[in-house]
Amino acid sequence: MSAVLEVRDLTKAFGGISAVSGVSFDVHAGEILGLIGPNGSGKSTLFNCILGQLTPSSGEVRVDGRPITGMRACDLNRLGIGRTFQLLQVFPQLSVRENLILAGQEHEGSMWSRLLGRRDAGLTDAANRMIEFFRLGHLADAKAGSLSYGQQKLLDAAMAFMAGPRLVLLDEPAGGVNPTMLADLRERLREINRTRNATFVVIEHNMEFVMSLCTRILVLAEGRIIAQGDPQTVRNDPGVIEAYLGH
Amino acid sequence: MTRSGRTGMLAAAAAIALLVAAPFGLKPYGIYLLSLWAATTIAAIGLNLTLGYAGQISLAQASFVGIGAYTAALLTTQGWPLWSAFLLAIALCFVIGWLLGYPALRVQHHYLAFVTLSFATLVFLVLRNEEWLTKGVYGISGIPRPTVLGWSTKGPIDYYFFCLGVLALVAAATGWLIRSPWGRAFTALRENPIRASSLGVDTRRYTLMAFAIGSALGGVSGVLYAPLVQFIEPTAFALGLSLSLLLMVIVGGSGYFFGPFLGAAVSVLLPEWLRFTEGLYLILYAAFVMILMAFCPSGLLGLAERLRTPAAPTRRPGSSR
Repeated sequence: MSAVLEVRDLTKAFGGISAVSGVSFDVHAGEILGLIGPNGSGKSTLFNCILGQLTPSSGEVRVDGRPITGMRACDLNRLGIGRTFQLLQVFPQLSVRENLILAGQEHEGSMWSRLLGRRDAGLTDAANRMIEFFRLGHLADAKAGSLSYGQQKLLDAAMAFMAGPRLVLLDEPAGGVNPTMLADLRERLREINRTRNATFVVIEHNMEFVMSLCTRILVLAEGRIIAQGDPQTVRNDPGVIEAYLGH
Repeated sequence: MTRSGRTGMLAAAAAIALLVAAPFGLKPYGIYLLSLWAATTIAAIGLNLTLGYAGQISLAQASFVGIGAYTAALLTTQGWPLWSAFLLAIALCFVIGWLLGYPALRVQHHYLAFVTLSFATLVFLVLRNEEWLTKGVYGISGIPRPTVLGWSTKGPIDYYFFCLGVLALVAAATGWLIRSPWGRAFTALRENPIRASSLGVDTRRYTLMAFAIGSALGGVSGVLYAPLVQFIEPTAFALGLSLSLLLMVIVGGSGYFFGPFLGAAVSVLLPEWLRFTEGLYLILYAAFVMILMAFCPSGLLGLAERLRTPAAPTRRPGSSR
């Protein structure tokens, strides 16, 4: 299996504090990798360094063997890397459909064709399919800001998939979502993983969700990887239990 | 079409009919005010694009009106046709606006306001002090009105229709722009630049574009303004005008397509209608603006939307957690 994402010796220091120190791992094509760890262990910082929202202090990130360290977020997205954020990030003033069209439009044509061409950049059908896929059909024309929290969370995830990315980094997709909707979200993610061969990295605190979704899990504590392996191995690792429960 | 869409179309049709019929029942000063409204609206549309849609504050819009007005004054008093002034002013303001956008890539909100304020001061000083070019505080007079394809716009009604025609073109182009994917990207830039960027929106390029296009429209407004008043001097394009343009955008409804039309009407025409109250009119006007801002910060069109959908949830975006 080839590595879609390679992270090598990634370090991010804020003043004297290393939020991430010397982290290295590979993500293989078609894998769903879980990234867990106590609060403040550096998970989101790691995501932000990989995806260009933060510049790492040192280390390297490669996608398909190509170095992407320090690239702008918008350029990374156009290389086929999507993400969601820990806090909900939809555009409340746009409708559900408009949110999805926005999420795909920058991948269609040039800047000028987007100005002079079709208003929907030819994406209405694709947006409608995505809306159906995430079972938001009855809300297509509603403003995203008027949706319930769980529905916005689904839309947030749907937006990350709109441009058909090969690699998606999801930061707490299950946070604040009710159990029924959560099962639904898990099924949607599995289906996209299976049918489109998309690779996922998922940060999550909901252990049941992570253990049932992910094929491999990486445990981060105080900016370092302390354990990795399949869900069963990680669950029984004494180091992991100690990191969560304290000494 | 939705019900609100139909109401909007009807209102627009009625407004157009009124604008076409109005000058025939007005004295020259009234026609002058309507022409001023049309020219000012264009500058406000530009600022609405930069501020209302793309979320970038600018206190320099009057400077671009000034650059446009001086371009028109200098060229047409030298015998050049007005369309050449349009081309040059649009190009000049677009480029300067693009450059002014660079600070916006680093700073936002009130910091950006101060950066643009410094730029506005700079432009004012150039207009006042570079007498070899701008004639300084003496200003430029005798600015001729154009002849368009054999149609002389010397008369007030003729020039009014010329202004109205340019406004219609600008409105059509802006309407196209904000309904295109660019408009969507501008809105995304205003609401959440980090998320927009993670979805492939090149926030840098769109920010610069928002500044450049908004500034170019300020230039267009200035090119119309100079032959309207036929005498220009630097103080007309100082901070006062930038602030009133800002007021127009906010009062009309920032981020609403028709906001600038309404805001400019309130700012240009309302004070005149309130003149019968003599010494009180500025006080009444100020009170009106304060009450509007206190109870409806989204402006007149925001108020209209709220009245039309009284049952709509008033919850703030993202507060449902």
